[in-house]
Amino acid sequence: MTHVRLAHVEVKIPIYEGAARRFIRLPSLSRARVGSADVTRSPGVLWVHALHDLTLSLAEGERVAVIGPNGAGKTTLLRVLAGIYPCSSGIRELSGSVGALLAANMALNSDATGYENIRLVSTLEGWPKDRLKDYIADIEEFTELGEYLGLPLRVYSAGMAARLSFAMATIRAPDILLIDENIGAGDAQFQEKARRRVDQFLGRVKIIVIASHSTELLRSICRKGLLLDGGKMEFFGALDQALALYARIGQRPVAAAR
Amino acid sequence: MIFAQAAKCLGNIGRSFSWAWLDTVCRYRRSKIGPIWETINILFLVGGMTVVSSAVIGGRPAQNLPYIGLGMITWTAISALVNDGTSTFLINASYITGSTMPIDLYIGRTVCKSFITFCHHIVLYVLALIFLPVYFGWLSLFSLVGLALLFINGYWMVGVLAFLSARFRDLEMIVRNLMQVAFFVTPIFWSHTLLVGARRAIVDWNPFFYFLELVRRPLLGELPPFYFYIVVLSMTALGYALLYLVYRRLRPYLPLFV
Repeated sequence: MTHVRLAHVEVKIPIYEGAARRFIRLPSLSRARVGSADVTRSPGVLWVHALHDLTLSLAEGERVAVIGPNGAGKTTLLRVLAGIYPCSSGIRELSGSVGALLAANMALNSDATGYENIRLVSTLEGWPKDRLKDYIADIEEFTELGEYLGLPLRVYSAGMAARLSFAMATIRAPDILLIDENIGAGDAQFQEKARRRVDQFLGRVKIIVIASHSTELLRSICRKGLLLDGGKMEFFGALDQALALYARIGQRPVAAAR
Repeated sequence: MIFAQAAKCLGNIGRSFSWAWLDTVCRYRRSKIGPIWETINILFLVGGMTVVSSAVIGGRPAQNLPYIGLGMITWTAISALVNDGTSTFLINASYITGSTMPIDLYIGRTVCKSFITFCHHIVLYVLALIFLPVYFGWLSLFSLVGLALLFINGYWMVGVLAFLSARFRDLEMIVRNLMQVAFFVTPIFWSHTLLVGARRAIVDWNPFFYFLELVRRPLLGELPPFYFYIVVLSMTALGYALLYLVYRRLRPYLPLFV
C-alpha cells in the first residue's frame, strides 16, 4: 500500500561559513540577524529552519499541489519526501517507489546528445534493457523534440530540457511522483501533454506531489493543495481553498509574511 | 547488511563506467585528435623529465626512460584519484540535491574516469615494448595485481576525500598542495636506492611509494618484496574501514552541505 507520512518533521540546514576564521575579512555572516524562528546559531554554525513541525499523511490516489511564496519551503519539502534531505527531528515514512524530478535539468552531460543522455539515464536508473527501444520511442513521441534529440543538450532551451526531463522521470510510472517547478518552463501545449500523461498514469502513479507557481497547471492535475509559508504548513485541503488563502498571503509584503 | 551494500556498490561500478565513458567521449568530440592529446601530454612530460633527471642525477636517458615513464604514468593515476576525489561531490552537487541516485555512482564516476585516462597513458608503455628494449616476461603480470590494488584503494580514497572535502572546503586546497610535494618526495623520477640511513623514512613512510612500486617493479622485471603487498593490503583494510565510518557519519547530511 503506497503511502507517505511525515510526523512533526523539522528540517534545519547548516551554514558553516559562520564558523570560518579568515585572515582576510570577507563580508561576514556573523552580522546576520539571527535568533528569529527562521535562523538560529549554535557555536560556529548558522541553522536555517526550512521546515517547522510538519505533519502530513498522503494516501493512494492523492494529487497534491504545493504552493507558497518563494522561500516557503516547497523544494525542501519535496527533498524530504524524496529522502534526499534528512529530518532534523520527526519521522518520515514512505512505502512505494519514488520518482523525483527536482532539478531544473536532468541532463547528465550537457555536451552529450539527447539520445546519449537518455541511454545513460537508462543505465544509471536500471531500466530494463529489452524495453529501451519502446522507452525511447515513447520519449520521442512525448517530447516532440525531433532532430534535437540528436543534438547536444547545451543547445536546448529551458522548456525543451524540461520536456526531456519530464519524459524521462515519468517513463516508468513510479508509485510516488515528486515534481518541482520545472515543468512550469514548458509551454502551454507541453503542460497540456504533461497533464494528459499524468492522467494516463493515474492508474499506476499512486501519489503525485507538485510544487509550482502555475495555477492553471496545478488546477488541471491536482485536487488538493498544501499551502506553505515560512516553513510551516498553513493549510492542507481542497485546492481551491488553498489557492484562495495563498492569494491573501500574496497581498502581504514578503518580509511581513513571516 | 554491509555486504549487501558492498555488493550493490560493486554492481554500480559498471553504471559509473558508462557515465565516465560518456564524459570522455564528449570531451573528445570537439577536438581534432581527441584521445591522442592525453597520450601526447604524458609523452612530452616523460621525455622532459627523463632528459632533466638523467642530466641531474645521472644515467643514460635511454636507460632511465622506462623507469621514469612507468613512474609518471602510475603517479598520474594516483594523483588524479586523489585530486579528483576531493571535488567529486562538489561537481555533482546538483545531482546530489536533485535526484535520488545512489551516492556511490559519483565515486565510481571519478574512479572510472581516472582509469580511462590511465588506459590512454599505458599505450605509451605498449609502444615502448615494441620500439625499446624494455623487459617483458612472466613477472610483468604481477603488475596487474598492483594495478588492481591501486584502483581498489583509489575507490576508498575518492570516497573518503569526497565526503570530507564536501564538508571541509579547505581540504581540497590542502590535498592539492600536498600532492605537489608528494610528487617530489616519491621516487618517480629518482631511485629510492639514492636514500640511505634516516632519510629512507621519506619512502618507507610514503604510502604512494608502495602503490607505485607494486605497479612499476614487475614491469621492469623485478618482483616487489612481499611486505609491500602486506603494507598495501593493510592500507586497503584501513581505508575501507575509514570510508565506512565517514559514510556513516556524513552520508545523511551530505545534501545539506554539499
